[in-house]
Amino acid sequence: MTLTDAPADARRARATSSTAVYRTTGRRAIVSGAGWGLIFGVYVAAQALGYATSYKTAASRRLLASEFGSNPGISALVGPAHHINTVAGFTTWKCLAVLAVTGAVWGILLGTKLLRGEEDAGRWELLLTGPTTRRGAAVQAVGALASGFATLLVVTSVLVVLIGRSPKVEFGAGAAGYFALASVSGALMFLAVGALASQLASTRRQAAGYAAALLGACYAVRMVADSGLGLGWLLWLTPLGWVEQLRPFTRPDPVALVPIVLFSLAAALASVWLAGRRDVGASLLRDRSSAKARLVLLSGPVGLALRQMRSTLLAWAGGITAYGLVLGSIAKTGGKIFTSSPTLRLFFSRLGVTGAQAYLGFALLIMAMALGFVAVGQVAAARTEESTGRLENLLVRPLGRVPWLHERSVIAVSVLVVGGLLAGLSTWLGAAIEHAGVGFTSMIDAGLNVVPPALVLLGVGILVFGLWPRVAVKVTYAVLLWSLFVELIGGAVSLNHWVLDTSTLHQMAPAPSEPVDWTSAGAMVAIAVAATLVGYHRFARRDLAGE
Amino acid sequence: MDEPAIRTSGLTKHYGATRALVNLDLEVGRGEVVGCLGANGAGKTTLIRLLLGLLIPTGGRAEIFGLDSQRQTVEAHRRLAYVAGEANLWPNLTGEETLHLLGRVQGRVDEPYRAELIERFELDPTKKVRALSKGNRQKLALVAALMVRPELLILDEPTSGLDPLMEQAFRHCVGEARERGQSVLLSSHILSEVEVLCDRIGILRDGVLVEIGTMAQMRHLSALIVQVTFDDRVPDLSGVAGVSMVEVEGRTLTCQVKGPVEPLLQVLAGAGVHELLSREPSLEELFLSHYGPGSPREASGDAH
Repeated sequence: MTLTDAPADARRARATSSTAVYRTTGRRAIVSGAGWGLIFGVYVAAQALGYATSYKTAASRRLLASEFGSNPGISALVGPAHHINTVAGFTTWKCLAVLAVTGAVWGILLGTKLLRGEEDAGRWELLLTGPTTRRGAAVQAVGALASGFATLLVVTSVLVVLIGRSPKVEFGAGAAGYFALASVSGALMFLAVGALASQLASTRRQAAGYAAALLGACYAVRMVADSGLGLGWLLWLTPLGWVEQLRPFTRPDPVALVPIVLFSLAAALASVWLAGRRDVGASLLRDRSSAKARLVLLSGPVGLALRQMRSTLLAWAGGITAYGLVLGSIAKTGGKIFTSSPTLRLFFSRLGVTGAQAYLGFALLIMAMALGFVAVGQVAAARTEESTGRLENLLVRPLGRVPWLHERSVIAVSVLVVGGLLAGLSTWLGAAIEHAGVGFTSMIDAGLNVVPPALVLLGVGILVFGLWPRVAVKVTYAVLLWSLFVELIGGAVSLNHWVLDTSTLHQMAPAPSEPVDWTSAGAMVAIAVAATLVGYHRFARRDLAGE
Repeated sequence: MDEPAIRTSGLTKHYGATRALVNLDLEVGRGEVVGCLGANGAGKTTLIRLLLGLLIPTGGRAEIFGLDSQRQTVEAHRRLAYVAGEANLWPNLTGEETLHLLGRVQGRVDEPYRAELIERFELDPTKKVRALSKGNRQKLALVAALMVRPELLILDEPTSGLDPLMEQAFRHCVGEARERGQSVLLSSHILSEVEVLCDRIGILRDGVLVEIGTMAQMRHLSALIVQVTFDDRVPDLSGVAGVSMVEVEGRTLTCQVKGPVEPLLQVLAGAGVHELLSREPSLEELFLSHYGPGSPREASGDAH
C-alpha cells in the first residue's frame, strides 16, 4: 500500500462501516428472495403446464369453466375464476391468491426477522455504535428488504417468462412480467408491514403476531368480498383485494398498483420515521414495565408454557373459529359445484354425501394446513426455551428433561386436538345456520380428521429437536412447506404416488366428503408417537444447546 | 459415611477436537466454599454444566452428594441451587412471578428469608424482567437460588453486573451460607471475592486443574516475590537457579523465587544491596503465574 492510498482506504472503510446494517441484512434478504422466487416459479410452472396437459381440448376446458367459473364458495377460498378455459386464466386463478398469501407470510417473517429479530438479539445495538443513526440503520434494513423483494420479483419474472415461452402455455413476455409482479405484490406490502410492526412491538414474536393478525383480517375481508354476498366493493379495502384487482392475463387493471405501492411506501416510511423516534429495544405501543403478579398458572412448566403461549393460542383459536364459521356458512353454495354435473351428482349421491359435505371435504384441507403451522409453532416455542437459556432455569431444579419435553408435547397435542374440534364445531355451526344439511357428528369427525397430519409434524419436530436441536424448527417448517407444495401442485400435475405419499396432508381422507380413514389416521398417530419417543430418548442424552 | 458435596473423577468433555475439560478430579466437602479460577475458555462453565447434568461428559463421572449427576439428576438437583453468569429469565414475567415459579419448581422456599433477600438486594418484584437492568436480573437470579437454602450452591460468575454495594450483600449471603454449613462452588473473575470467601481455590487452565489448595498451601508451593534495590549497578540474575519473571526499573529489581533462596542470596551478597523486601504472592500474582508472561502456558505458546 502506498501513502497516497491511505485517504481512499479510510473513505472506503468509513463507507463500509456506515453501511454495516445493509451488508449484514441485505445478503440474507437476497438469498431468501431468490429461494422463494424459485418456489414461486416452480409453482406457476406446475399449474400452467399441468392445466395444459390435463385439459387438452376446448370442450374439457369449457366444462371446467362451467363447473368452477361462477361458484362463490370456491371464489371465497381462492379468489374468483375468470377465463379459466384458458391456460392464462386458470394459472391466474390457481396462483394469484395462493402466492399473495404465501408472499405475505414470507414478508412478515423476513421483515420482522431482519428488523426486530436483529434488535432482540442485541446485534442492532452493536451496529448502532458505528457511524450510523437509528433512522439510518432502519433505512438500511428497509433497503435490505427492498433488495430481497427485487430478487424475488426478478427470479419469479424470469421463470414465468421462460414458462410462457412453452408452446403449451404461450404467455407474452410483458403479460408474464405483469403476472409475476402481481404474484409478489403481497410480499411487497407485508415486508413493509413486518418492518412497521417491528417498530410497534417489543419482541419479534409480538411484531410477527401483529402483522399476522392484519394479514388474517385482510384475508377474511377478501373472503367475504368474494363470497357472492354483493359485497365486492370490500375488495378495495384489503391489500389482498388490491392484488386480486390487478387481474393479470385476464382483464389487467394496473390502477390497483397505486394503493399497493402507496401502502408499501407508507408502511416503509413510517417504520423508518418511527425507528428514529424510539429508544433501541423499546416499543412504541405502550408496554407496562410493572404489573400485579398473576400466579394462577405459574405452578410449573405446563402453566408457564400456557402463560407464555396464551395470546398466540387465543389468536389461532379465534382465527380457526372465524374461518370455520365462514366456511360452514358458504358450504351450501360452494357445494353446488359438486352437484352441478350429473356425473358428480351421481358419484356423491352413491356415497351418501351432499354437495355441502363434498365442498367442506375440500375446504377443510386449509384447516389441516393451519394446524400444521400450529404444530411447527409448538416445536419453535420449545426450542426457543432452550436456545435462549431459559430452559436451564427449570432443568437445574428437580425437573427431568424427559418430563419437561413430555409435558410440552402433551400441551401441543391438546392444542392440536382442541384446534381440530374447534374447526369441526365452528364449521358445523356455520353450516347449521345456513341449513346446509351437514351432520354434527360427521363434522366433529372431520375436525378430528385434520389433527393426525399435524401430529406427524409435531413428532418430526420433537425427533429433530432431540437429535439436532439447532435445525429442529427449520426441518419441521421444511416438512410442512413440502407437504403444502405437494398438495398444491399435486392437483395440477400428476405426481408419482411415492412423492405424494411424502406429504403429511396426502394421507388424510377428505372428510366429510369421504368417511374418515381411521386406519390411516391411526398409522399417522403411531408414526408421531414413535418419532416423539425417539426424540425424548435423544433429548435425554445430548448437551443442552444454545443458539 | 457423608458423601462430599461434589466429587468428580476423570471428568472429561470434548467438543469435537476441542478439549474443554481434561480428566478432572475435584472434591468439595460439606460446608466447604471452593473457588474456581481460570481465564475465559479455561473450562469453568463446562465443569459447572457437567455437574448440573446440562452437558453429557465425554469421560469420567460427577457426583453431587454421592448422586450421579447424569443418572440421578433430579435427586441431585433437589439439594442444590445454581446461578448462571447471565440471568436468562422470561421477559414478560414480573420478579415476583419468576420467584414464585422457580420456588414451585424447586419444591421448597424459605419464605421469610426470601422477603429478607428481596429487601437486602433492593429488588422491585413488581417489575417485569424485560424492564430490569442486567444487574437487577442477576439479583433476581441470586434471590431465586438463595431463597431455597440449598445444601449446595453452584455459582458461575454470580456477581457479573452487580454494583459494589450489591456485591457486598452477595458476600454477606455466601458468608451466612457457610456458617449454616452449606457448601459452595464459586467460579469468578473477581479475585478479591474468591480470596475473601473461599476455603480452597482451584485454578483451571486449558481444561486442566493445574492447582488447588488453600491460600496458605498455594503460597507455600509457589514462588516468593523478592524486590531488591541496589546501590549501583543491577546484576544479571538470568542464570540464577529458581529465579524467574525478572523485572528491572532503575536500580530496583523485582523477581520471583521458587525453591531455595540460597542461590539468589549468594549472588546478592556481593552486589551492593541497598534494600531487600520479600513477600508471599497475592492471589492475583498466583493466578497470573499460571497465565502471565513466563507461565507454562506462555512458554508452551498457548497464550493469545
